[in-house]
Amino acid sequence: MADFQPQLTKRFGIKNSHTLNVYLETGGYSSLKNLFAKKPAEVIEEVKASGLKGRGGAGFPAGMKWSFVPQNTGKPIYLVVNADEGEPGTFTDRFMMLYDPHLLIEGIICASYAINCHTAYVYVRGEFLEQINRLNAAIEEAKKANYLGKNIQGSGFDLEIYVHRGAGAYICGEETGLIESLEGKKGQPRIKPPFPAVVGAFGCPTIVNNVKTLSSVPWIIEHGAAAYTAIGTKESAGTHVFGLSGHVHQTGYWEMPFGLPMMEFIENYGKGVKGGKLKAVIPGGSSCPILTAQECQDLTLTYESMRDHKTMFGTGCAIIMNEHTDMAMVLKNLTHFYADESCGQCTPCREGTAWEDRLLKKIVTREATAKDLDLMLEIANNMEGKTICVFSSALAMPVRSFIQKFREDFEKYLVKNTVVVPEKITAN
Amino acid sequence: MAKITIDGKPMEVPDGTNVLEAALSNNVPLEHFCYQRYLPVAGNCRTCMVEIEGPKGPMLTVGCNTKVAEGMVIHTLSPKAKAAQKTALEFLLLDHPLDCPVCDKAGECKLQNQYMEYGLYDFRRGVPRYFKGGKAEDIGEHIMLDQERCVLCSRCIRFVDEVPKTSELGIVNRGHESTITIFPGKRLDNAYSGNVTDICPVGALTLKEFRFKQRVWFLKKTESVCPGCARGCNITVEQNKGHIYRFMPRDNSQLNKTWICDEGRFSFNHWQENRVSEVRLGHATHPLQEGIAELAKLLEGISPDEVAGIASPAAALEDNYLFKKLFEKRFKVKNLAAPFWGKKGEEDKILKLADKTPNTQGLKLLGIDTEGKDLLEQIEKGQFKVVIVMHNNPFGQDEERAKKVYGKVKALVVLSVHKTKMAEQGSMLFPLRPFTEKNGTFVNATSRLQRFRQAVEPENPDVVEASLWVCRLAKALKLEGFEFQDTPSIFNAMAKEVEQLKGLTFNSIPGTGKVLDLPPMAEEPFQGIRCQPNVLGTAKSEKV
Repeated sequence: MADFQPQLTKRFGIKNSHTLNVYLETGGYSSLKNLFAKKPAEVIEEVKASGLKGRGGAGFPAGMKWSFVPQNTGKPIYLVVNADEGEPGTFTDRFMMLYDPHLLIEGIICASYAINCHTAYVYVRGEFLEQINRLNAAIEEAKKANYLGKNIQGSGFDLEIYVHRGAGAYICGEETGLIESLEGKKGQPRIKPPFPAVVGAFGCPTIVNNVKTLSSVPWIIEHGAAAYTAIGTKESAGTHVFGLSGHVHQTGYWEMPFGLPMMEFIENYGKGVKGGKLKAVIPGGSSCPILTAQECQDLTLTYESMRDHKTMFGTGCAIIMNEHTDMAMVLKNLTHFYADESCGQCTPCREGTAWEDRLLKKIVTREATAKDLDLMLEIANNMEGKTICVFSSALAMPVRSFIQKFREDFEKYLVKNTVVVPEKITAN
Repeated sequence: MAKITIDGKPMEVPDGTNVLEAALSNNVPLEHFCYQRYLPVAGNCRTCMVEIEGPKGPMLTVGCNTKVAEGMVIHTLSPKAKAAQKTALEFLLLDHPLDCPVCDKAGECKLQNQYMEYGLYDFRRGVPRYFKGGKAEDIGEHIMLDQERCVLCSRCIRFVDEVPKTSELGIVNRGHESTITIFPGKRLDNAYSGNVTDICPVGALTLKEFRFKQRVWFLKKTESVCPGCARGCNITVEQNKGHIYRFMPRDNSQLNKTWICDEGRFSFNHWQENRVSEVRLGHATHPLQEGIAELAKLLEGISPDEVAGIASPAAALEDNYLFKKLFEKRFKVKNLAAPFWGKKGEEDKILKLADKTPNTQGLKLLGIDTEGKDLLEQIEKGQFKVVIVMHNNPFGQDEERAKKVYGKVKALVVLSVHKTKMAEQGSMLFPLRPFTEKNGTFVNATSRLQRFRQAVEPENPDVVEASLWVCRLAKALKLEGFEFQDTPSIFNAMAKEVEQLKGLTFNSIPGTGKVLDLPPMAEEPFQGIRCQPNVLGTAKSEKV
């Protein structure tokens, strides 16, 4: 990895990296010359050719998404930046906004130009107060220097960016839930179709992109799609900011190209598993199916390898667990989170998440039998893929993978099927 | 039109129809809670799950939010679709209280019906029930809310948002703690509030006027038309043992959809209370036969010029038709009019109209004067010895004037449903049947001819409908052409004479009514209100 040039985190560690001066000194806003020389459709083609995938979790090709925007509706087109980073175990977007807000702004300019949008919103998780302040300051700086506003750098392209502070609901990270929340409504995902690219914020065509997706765009515009596809693997082009948390000696985040083996990542970057041998890895945020240590041996940090292992790349932030971890307690933590965060709109999710949570509480209080464990699996099947958004699947997948792969951790809590004689009676 | 296949059966449905509607209108049962054909799709109950064949194989999706496409192949009975439907129902019933024995919705509850039909029968919650709380909360003049029964389909919310546009209701909290509630400081008392109880698929929203009054399976339902205003909303009259317990809206996609106003809905008691039940001549009660004979004797003694008749926009087409015919044959038709007596009501852009009578357009159809200014002046001058008033009160609220006027008349014959001031003044009083106790037709403000059928039989056989009263009087006066036994035959005779009704018979009038060639007197309902596009006509058996 020695020959690799960081794209997303190259200003991290530089003093005052969030200011326009430092940003310009380190090559900031240099993609704009290339950008405005192209036609919007050419920008979309360039991003399509780069193979850039959405970094928010679903991994949908970004250029493809942009090409869905109808240009003939007569309505304004909006770009909404999803900065509602809330996936448990994920913590990289917040640093992107903290240390390099101008890179995000540059990415927003590129994407807005491509889809012909003149108003962009950044929906930031409410807890990120410092990030919001830095973003607002960066937007002000950029406006003064004519990187935003009317006729940006003489290109004739206008763009305004507004920062919207969320109120901290996990479901507002789902793109239609986010749009509802942005409109001032209760953050509940919308039924699709119509998709947001056609009917989104305020009834207008809207593209929702993740912070890192947009931050990756300026490099592609500046260096070209071919240079981008040369980094990483065939299906997972470019670089990503990978995170590590849990039982490792060194937690943190590192930018690197796709393709590093998971075990190397843990050993070289995380300095090895802390407190025992590796037991399990949640590869990309809490909603991805869990992997056993065995499965991680040939896992690489790419979209395709994750898919082959029947899990998801997700947000690229792995949670590492050592051999002493009690999987039932881990899952209990997760089910409680999802039961609490379900928006309550669709029946299977509203009832299912809470049901799973109640059943798991019954298990860990040693009141359940094997029947309850099987019931949990069946509820997971009944929830998955049957709702408006993927929230119910985001709990169903961990539940199923946890119980199937670590059943013994759950079984030790179960009441044995023999008759238990209460102590009082035996004492007499 | 799009050719589609549902469960192997080929069918054609209009483009833009959703899969659920296509299934229901072709008698393919598909359960649903949140979908209401006249409200925007919410897609949250997840019970109308179907499998649709696509390029990547069959895909599980909701029927309500999927528009049909040419050649679409839909499975509602495949194992996957069936499993999805069943499990959605299991989730819905998970913490739902099983208080069906005391719940007013039992018998017409979607959850109860569909769970009986599709549900899983082995109980397996495995954990104690989660109690939502919120029992019998008084949220409006007519409405009670039981939050613990709610399945959060959001139909009521979408209704108050879309139709009366008053938005009193909303969902608070998240996940399984979500509850429907009313905004602080607000009350659910808009003019259409009763509709939320009809569309509530369970017993979460109930009517105070119906709570604990009657089990729904005892109710006999009769197709009828609300006589509360000139709109003529389609209703069913629901009675048991002759007592009417409620009026319910009846689906008519071309008129009132599935909505009615509260004023109409709660008028059911009005038609059962304070009724004239016996024939009164002077101060003594008599059988009908004697009353008619007495009246005939009186009429035979005076000149035909000295009899005035007041017909009514509140009476059925048949009543007015025969009343007019009586004047044509025996008296002078110029001495007949049907002025409106009461106050004008409130009008809105939804359903309510200012004209509080159901048949003003019908009078126009029959060529009866709806103003009657000259006639009333003549009555006031004392030009008539006998005035026959049928279901009307020509001098309205002006009692002093009425007393003066009627003092000059030798006999004031009143045919009345209710014991009104008018009825008290009559020297001869005959009881009338209201619309719930007779068959008949009205023509509404948008010129739609609509039929209503008899729901209740009055205890006293002397209480007759106005048209048959006219027949009896005609017989006593030895007139020909009045030999009718029932309303349908009167309608059929009338249809032969009235140009716009040519070719119709009483029983061939469509359930949704028939628009006549007559200039309308009001705008179509629901001005500026979104209703589901591409609704496939009115459901036959399906409940709202």
